[in-house]
Amino acid sequence: MKKIIMVLSAGILALSFTACNSTSSKQTNNTDSAQADTTNMTAPVEATDATPADAILTGYINMKNSLAADNGSEAAKNGQEILDAVSKFNASSLSPEQKKTFLGLVGDIKENSEHINENGDKIEHQREHFEMLSKDMTDLVKSVGTDKSLYLDSCPMYDGGKGTWLSEVKEIKNPYMGKKSPTCGAIKETIKQ
Amino acid sequence: MSWIKKILLVLLIVFIAIQFIQPAQNKSVQVLPTDISKTITVPENVKMILQTACYDCHSNNTDYPWYNYVQPVAWILANHIKHGKRDLNFNEFGSYPVRKQQSKLKAIADQIKDGEMPLYSYTIIHYNARLSKEQKAIIIDWAQNAQDSLDKINP
Repeated sequence: MKKIIMVLSAGILALSFTACNSTSSKQTNNTDSAQADTTNMTAPVEATDATPADAILTGYINMKNSLAADNGSEAAKNGQEILDAVSKFNASSLSPEQKKTFLGLVGDIKENSEHINENGDKIEHQREHFEMLSKDMTDLVKSVGTDKSLYLDSCPMYDGGKGTWLSEVKEIKNPYMGKKSPTCGAIKETIKQ
Repeated sequence: MSWIKKILLVLLIVFIAIQFIQPAQNKSVQVLPTDISKTITVPENVKMILQTACYDCHSNNTDYPWYNYVQPVAWILANHIKHGKRDLNFNEFGSYPVRKQQSKLKAIADQIKDGEMPLYSYTIIHYNARLSKEQKAIIIDWAQNAQDSLDKINP
């Protein structure tokens, strides 16, 4: 009797462990260890209400700088910043055409930000989503506009040259290569001087 | 020693009791108009790999293993499938906005390249879901080409 119970319980335990190890590790990183690497990071930019996408763009630019500094846990926080800004986004001032663009992009912006938010310990995975997010953000800004200086940069070393990003400054700070190759890339397009 | 016995007995009773609570199954034979094969080209060899290695969690139709009928495994699997389908559902691919389709194709290629998918905990048991180098290359090429052709329509 005792033996049977022992074997069965061991069985239950074994079964509950085999299938569930992938989900639990994802949501751990967002709160701590953000102070680790602030030395060569730009101070976070404050958002203004001048154009509707500015708060989202601010979160994005902060994220770009976090990734350029190889700081995944800070980039994860910036993901939350973007999500908050998206939920507060005011679409009322947009034209029907701009609204359509926004609606086509918002789902993807949210999803990519969520993934970056949940993977603070996997910076290469964050960068994959950042590449897609950059494309979304470029389209969004080109549609709804911004009054901040903004440049579209690209780096031939990342993903066959497909890796582009938006930058608030003219100098190159590469969010894909980080410290390995911080200045790789060039301005591809000036969106706003 | 007898308190250990009591605890184990309680565990056994709980184990038997939860066998009667089975979650709804992810089963649907209907081919939706939003299926990925109706949106982009999916060659037969790609389709075969997707069905064996991905569809259990990323479609509306799971090929359940025998142990799915043992609780609490059924709950764990149901939870995996729920998350898998939320992130990517091949049967509903056509309902995604074009930008999301492009992102998903890139994510498919990235996840296979990084070895993140199929999940390790899944391939431990599903031996045939382990992808060979060639199979991985087939999926990555397909996803990248499909993404490129979408990029041409929607730059």
